[in-house]
Amino acid sequence: MIGYVATIVLLLLLAPILLSFIKAVKMWLLYKRPVSLLQGYRDFGKLLRKETVVSEEASAMTRIAPFWVLSPLLVALFYLPPIAKGAYYVSFVDAFTLTGLLALSTFFLMLLGLDSASSFGGMGSSREAFISALVEPAMILTIFSVSMMAGDLGIGQAGVNLAEHFPREHTASFLFAAISFFILLIAENGRIPVDNPETHLELTMVHEAMILDITGVYLALIETAASVKFVIFASLFASLFLPFGMEEAWLPAAAIFVGKLFAVALAVALIEVNTAKLRLFKVPNLLGIAIVFAFLSLITYYVLGA
Amino acid sequence: MVDFLIGLFLATLITALFTSRLYRLLFWYSLNSLTLGLLALVIGARLDDRAMLLTGAVTILLKALAIPYVLKVLSRRFGLSRQTPPGIKTQYAIMLVPAILVFTFYLAEPISHMVQGNANYVAISISSLFLSLLLMIEHRNVAPKIVGFLSMENALFLLGTTATGGMPMLVELGIFFDLLMAIVVINLLLYREEAEL
Repeated sequence: MIGYVATIVLLLLLAPILLSFIKAVKMWLLYKRPVSLLQGYRDFGKLLRKETVVSEEASAMTRIAPFWVLSPLLVALFYLPPIAKGAYYVSFVDAFTLTGLLALSTFFLMLLGLDSASSFGGMGSSREAFISALVEPAMILTIFSVSMMAGDLGIGQAGVNLAEHFPREHTASFLFAAISFFILLIAENGRIPVDNPETHLELTMVHEAMILDITGVYLALIETAASVKFVIFASLFASLFLPFGMEEAWLPAAAIFVGKLFAVALAVALIEVNTAKLRLFKVPNLLGIAIVFAFLSLITYYVLGA
Repeated sequence: MVDFLIGLFLATLITALFTSRLYRLLFWYSLNSLTLGLLALVIGARLDDRAMLLTGAVTILLKALAIPYVLKVLSRRFGLSRQTPPGIKTQYAIMLVPAILVFTFYLAEPISHMVQGNANYVAISISSLFLSLLLMIEHRNVAPKIVGFLSMENALFLLGTTATGGMPMLVELGIFFDLLMAIVVINLLLYREEAEL
């Protein structure tokens, strides 16, 4: 029980640090002085102290939506696979529930973008809808195929099964699923080849466009939601596609798990430094490749059993 | 381990199909050959076959390092266009590639009963053969066609290595010399194309 609660608290605490870590690695590679790893907390504190201004045109939705953006992600955090053996609670939810929770959060984010009645918000919302519509099929296919390999439809049990007896004979389809999921991780979190989280240029904004005129506490909530979303994806990747180190005691297992999260963040940072942002109309091609790999993973599993 | 490398082989080939930059294409080809060489080394170590270990090492040196480098130098010397947009639109390729994969996986089904050992490797090498054919078809420029030809050779090598448990050393070496000849011929071809322009 303590381990279960501690895991969730740990993930919540790590969420801002991971995003700051990506930023720091990028700055370090570009010969800038890297930001502190605690920058996420500082921003959060600063936003809490700032005045919250709401547009005159905005309806009640602007006041409700930030909470609805954050809460499905917090719920999803409770259903993630356990990080050590003999966990108190192994969740039963499957790929559809998890994707649904993420989609619910995205839905309210899009409503928030539309609500402020600025042209940027609508543009950002339409782009987000465009991207997330393509992410969902690939996401369901990928998690489904991993669940098949693990022999359980529930995400939590699948993670445990993979760690206990890794399906060696299915390594090829496992690899395809991992590639597909990594592309989805980048797309869904708005990292560089799909969206640039740091720019405020109208041609390239997706996520930033939607939250352009959100301020104060609401902005703090949305930023937290973004970092929690990253930590959800990173920990799904860590427990489904890097299933090792779970048989230790809780503390070493947690340390290994945190190491894996940082490894995922490092991979994302390296990709961000090495690639340019894709044009918006090329994004479907990237996500199409993700769908190809997800499909390939399923078909390799079924037909070849490899 | 072998399964992992074979998955990586197919993954790099599929990624090469979707790239539209020449140097990236050469990079993916080089990675593809690297996985092939590692595969030969792993299988050779398992069978304790020194000839196969040697072939693996030569594959890594020649196909993963030398040939991509030579092609890069040649493409720079002849000022080949570095942008190689595929003739088939990506939207259609996204549908075509899984179709090819499914087709070849079922195509290899009857053959796989004849092979001893792991039958999946035959299916994957035949599908990569078809995919490299697609790589040759979908481009108009010379350079990607050359890469497609070389990937096709890789696919045949994979078939030879995994299905038969190692071809005779002499055959392998013959294929390597063939490849070197092919590179020389390509060089001449490029000279010729430049003369015509």
